[in-house]
Amino acid sequence: MNRTQPPSLYAASSSVIELAGTITLAERCSVGGTACRAPYLKADIVVENNLIYNVHELNKTYDTGKVKIKALDSVSFAVPDGDMLAIMGRSSSGKSTLLRQMGLLDRPTSGSLIFEGKEVTGLPEGDRTRLRLTSMGYVFQEYALLGELTAHQNVYLPGMMLGKNGSGYKERARELLELVGLGQRTGHYPKELSGGEQQRVAIARALINSPSVLLADEPCANLDTISSKSVMETLVRLNSQLKVTIIFISHDPADKKYARSLIVLSDGKIAEESKAAKL
Amino acid sequence: MKTLKVAGFLAFTSLKRGNFGVLLLTILILVLVTLNLLFVPSLLRGLVHGADGKLKDTFAGDIVIESALDNPLIPNLNTLIPKIEAIGGVVAVTPRNNMVSEMRYENERTSGVVYGIVPEREKEVFTISKSMVEGDFLASGDRNQIVLGIQLAGAGNPGIELYSRSLKKVHAGDRILVTFGDGIQKNYTVKGIFRSEFIQTDTQAFVSEAEFETVNPLAANRASSIRVKINDTADSAAIIEQIKQLGDGLRILTWEDYAGIMRSMTDSFQSIDTILNVVNLLVAGITVFVVTYIDVTNRRRQIGIQRAIGIMPGCIAIAYLLRAAFYAVLASMLASLAFLYVIMPVEARYPFHFPFGDVKLLIGFTDLTRAIFILMCAAIIAAFLPVWLALRIKILDAIWG
Repeated sequence: MNRTQPPSLYAASSSVIELAGTITLAERCSVGGTACRAPYLKADIVVENNLIYNVHELNKTYDTGKVKIKALDSVSFAVPDGDMLAIMGRSSSGKSTLLRQMGLLDRPTSGSLIFEGKEVTGLPEGDRTRLRLTSMGYVFQEYALLGELTAHQNVYLPGMMLGKNGSGYKERARELLELVGLGQRTGHYPKELSGGEQQRVAIARALINSPSVLLADEPCANLDTISSKSVMETLVRLNSQLKVTIIFISHDPADKKYARSLIVLSDGKIAEESKAAKL
Repeated sequence: MKTLKVAGFLAFTSLKRGNFGVLLLTILILVLVTLNLLFVPSLLRGLVHGADGKLKDTFAGDIVIESALDNPLIPNLNTLIPKIEAIGGVVAVTPRNNMVSEMRYENERTSGVVYGIVPEREKEVFTISKSMVEGDFLASGDRNQIVLGIQLAGAGNPGIELYSRSLKKVHAGDRILVTFGDGIQKNYTVKGIFRSEFIQTDTQAFVSEAEFETVNPLAANRASSIRVKINDTADSAAIIEQIKQLGDGLRILTWEDYAGIMRSMTDSFQSIDTILNVVNLLVAGITVFVVTYIDVTNRRRQIGIQRAIGIMPGCIAIAYLLRAAFYAVLASMLASLAFLYVIMPVEARYPFHFPFGDVKLLIGFTDLTRAIFILMCAAIIAAFLPVWLALRIKILDAIWG
């Protein structure tokens, strides 16, 4: 995957004013670098080679038996490789639902989700698990660390599962913990760490297999201001240093400043889509 | 291999950081189950081994030679016995004559078989002479003396199995009246009373060969049976074949031909053993199922997180199965050690008393490995079900309920 940023999307990324400018999928495709039409997709879906995600007409309806709740309503957008995208919106606007579809933790009711140029919506569970292991890192709102493992073990477990570099995953886990500022806490169990520290362990874990994308579901929701700042700065640094695409959810408008792109959801629909948020 | 490595890692850390009390209790229950799995087969094996030993050492010998002709007596003992003794593997040979008889003492009477024996030969084939509880065993040439099994004499011991049918209070030195099957009556002094702990032997009476010939002169140089003791390592089939060459009129039996009652009894024990094993395995299976089910329910979120971060469901399942296998292996090892080094020595010191002798628990390597294997299979199958159910839950439901 080419991690070079598409000039058409980022040419004016330093301007805060341009945050307000919205762009549609059609516009993006027309101005995007190397566009292509995937033969197996519907005719109106266009895939760009440098897009990590292409979300098209994604719908998710929860059927409780008595009522049907439409959590996502024909959501379409694309995410370029290397982006730092913020998904914002009020409670119950569909942010987490959207991220879970993108993280392959849930299946949409209809629509198409293309990840790294491949349709992944209908993949069998085993292939989805493998994709989560190899190409995606997911950071949960509630840290979601395994309580029986130390910080170091939590981080290297997915690396052990992938087992690419022999036992090199242990060293890499140490490096990642250093990177998130927890080099001295490797042997600590989650309950011995603060919320912010646990979240940073979760971020390190999400990065152990060098994923193409890191998905963070309100990573600062349970953290105090200082810890939140630390976590967000960690994400920015990782995006900058490792060139990993980061998509995070936040309900705090102040977090816009960490993003390059922005999607605002309202009632399951995209209410606003901005490019070029200020880093 | 990677899957197994990660599964082993997950199993190890969950055991290491899990609830020690639950672990201990689970192991304890499985230890008890394993002990049950080991106990009945070992009792059965001990029972059969002990009964077979008593049968050979006090009742039948290794090989029994009888007459195959109309005349129930084997002739020409003086020439036949040396020939049998000359066969390789034969340790000792003793001829026996017998006659059904009735015995009386005061107002009590009982019936049994009186054997005419050669005491010195008898001592080499059987161990009855070492089981005297009163008086002495016969010596060659003893006349007017009889040795009784305790089930005939009673010896004032109401605790014996056939006391009510015995002469009840006969002791060594008492005189009893014996009426032989041919109608001859004779008074005998009881020289000794033996207790072999094998009820079929303890209902026998012995007089010397010389004494028996006074009652039945036809018994001279003849025997109703010849009992042969062979080496433990000798090939009994080969010896039997050689004995058959010694004359056409001989019917050869082995001690196993006399073990019919024991075989039927052990078959019944086998059935009981099977039923108990099934119950035990159900207990083991349900225990592991409940422990795993509770554990999986408590860790549903953890399992969801593991799946979310890319740990393969098969890997998670194997981790639980490894843990169940660990429970089973540890429990069966502890149970085996307790059985071999505590229960068996204690039982050997205070053995179970059966009508065919004291029974010592006996366990073979096969029984041990079988018990361990069966327990492990039951544990793994029982653990699989709750894990499989947990892995069918959607990831998001597992994490957030």
